[in-house]
Amino acid sequence: MAASAVTWAGLAAIGRACGHIRSRLLGSSSTFSQVSCLHTSTGLNNKNWERRNRIVYPPQQKDEPRRPAEICHSRRQIKYSKDKMWYLAKLIRGMTIDQALVQLEFNDKKGAKIIREVLLEAQDMAVRNHNVEYKSNLYIAESYSGKGKYLKRIRYHGRGMFGIMDKVHCHYFVKLVEGVPPQVQTKTGFDQAKEYVEQLKNRTIIYSL
Amino acid sequence: MAASICRTLKCLQPTSCQNIKYGSSLLDVRLWQAVLQVPVRTKRRLFIPSSVNIKSKAQGEQERKARAAGVVIRQEYMERPINISCTAGIYDAYVPPEGDARLSTLTREGLKQRTEQLRQTAASQLAIRKIKDYDSTFTSKEFPGLGQQIFIDAHAALTEFNKEKLHSLVTERCYPEMVRGNRYKTLRWRFIESLEAPRLVHARCPDMISKGNLYGQVTLRMHSRQTLAIYDRFGRLMLGDEEEPRDVLEYLVMERHLVNPYGRWRLHGKIVPAWAPPKDPIIKTVMIPGPKLKSGEEFEDLNYQIPKPKAVQWNK
Repeated sequence: MAASAVTWAGLAAIGRACGHIRSRLLGSSSTFSQVSCLHTSTGLNNKNWERRNRIVYPPQQKDEPRRPAEICHSRRQIKYSKDKMWYLAKLIRGMTIDQALVQLEFNDKKGAKIIREVLLEAQDMAVRNHNVEYKSNLYIAESYSGKGKYLKRIRYHGRGMFGIMDKVHCHYFVKLVEGVPPQVQTKTGFDQAKEYVEQLKNRTIIYSL
Repeated sequence: MAASICRTLKCLQPTSCQNIKYGSSLLDVRLWQAVLQVPVRTKRRLFIPSSVNIKSKAQGEQERKARAAGVVIRQEYMERPINISCTAGIYDAYVPPEGDARLSTLTREGLKQRTEQLRQTAASQLAIRKIKDYDSTFTSKEFPGLGQQIFIDAHAALTEFNKEKLHSLVTERCYPEMVRGNRYKTLRWRFIESLEAPRLVHARCPDMISKGNLYGQVTLRMHSRQTLAIYDRFGRLMLGDEEEPRDVLEYLVMERHLVNPYGRWRLHGKIVPAWAPPKDPIIKTVMIPGPKLKSGEEFEDLNYQIPKPKAVQWNK
């Protein structure tokens, strides 16, 4: 929500309502189990995505299949909406990196240029630091956008009313994995109908001769 | 919104008439700057502090004002740390003779080489004598064994990545060269046996900066059998083989700060001779950037020679 016409009285009412809702939720959860009321710390400045690049796996045996390399990269506080960024992130999910770069190059959105830079950086990092052999042999396993820290400004309305304008920022996360992208099985309506008929045919009458 | 724009345009008109004679480019800049200053509709303030409107401030004045207000800015120290417990390189490096460990001792050439090697130069003898002044337990017979043990311990600490132990066995100059790039890799190294007894081949005692500040640098020649395998972050083999032992001829340089009573003999570096055989290539293929082609040129027509590195002795 970019802006909303709010009065001071309205804000106070909302605050009271939130308090009621939170206390109700806490009350309900404590009856279910002890574990759900535990609060694990997610403090300020969580850079967990970058931390994933630091895990070291033990050396593989000769008979094990080769573990594919995974490279996690992100960009923080991009001046763009997370909802608008989601469309681009969904576009490139599951594509090979070359295909994704081409699609983003000819996309008109502002976020496309930024995501393209992030992908190129991640590809370069993969080849240099993470022992990836062929830079085209990567595909996008995970790609999503998240909400960044918003700046708040005042948006003026008529009659002395104002709204709080959010200057939206977003984060973009991407995980590249070495290898060929997995084939996504698309089930057609005909296949589903066939399965249904099979299920009907496999019915039997129990305790029959 | 509309009313405010009309106000700004009205105040622009008298200024724009004056500026025409100064040139059109200046006029444009002035106009744009004036138009961007859209007045914000805030409450009319009765008191505005004087520091808000002053645009130009001299640097000295700003500092004086900040000090008067009690704002403390920490001094920025342009410092560069210098390490005095080790030297920065190998001074007067040993040049290993060509064909070392390739000729058998039974041939005439081999015998000649052996006699040359046994008769060390005078400078080395002088240096050894100076080292014995400071370090009473130093002998040219026993020290190579100790040196080899330090080498084995240092590499074992590198595989475990035991930082404290590694710092005590290896000088500060050698540490980054051993450790660089290995943080997210797994190293597996094994010292199988020594083929020839390690030998002291070279010694020098350079003094740094001031005259009495002596450092002892001693070169040992080691012929041994080792295995090395490097695995990357995902456990895949990058280089070498864990089961295949290789015969390795190395020239190690050990250093000690002689004047310091708590100084210790530590590994300072390795000398790679000019005639050393080239190393094995890594398992993955690497792209080397080639020459930039102009439009219309073909890479095959260029007959591009891949530049080979010069065979020069270098210190590791």
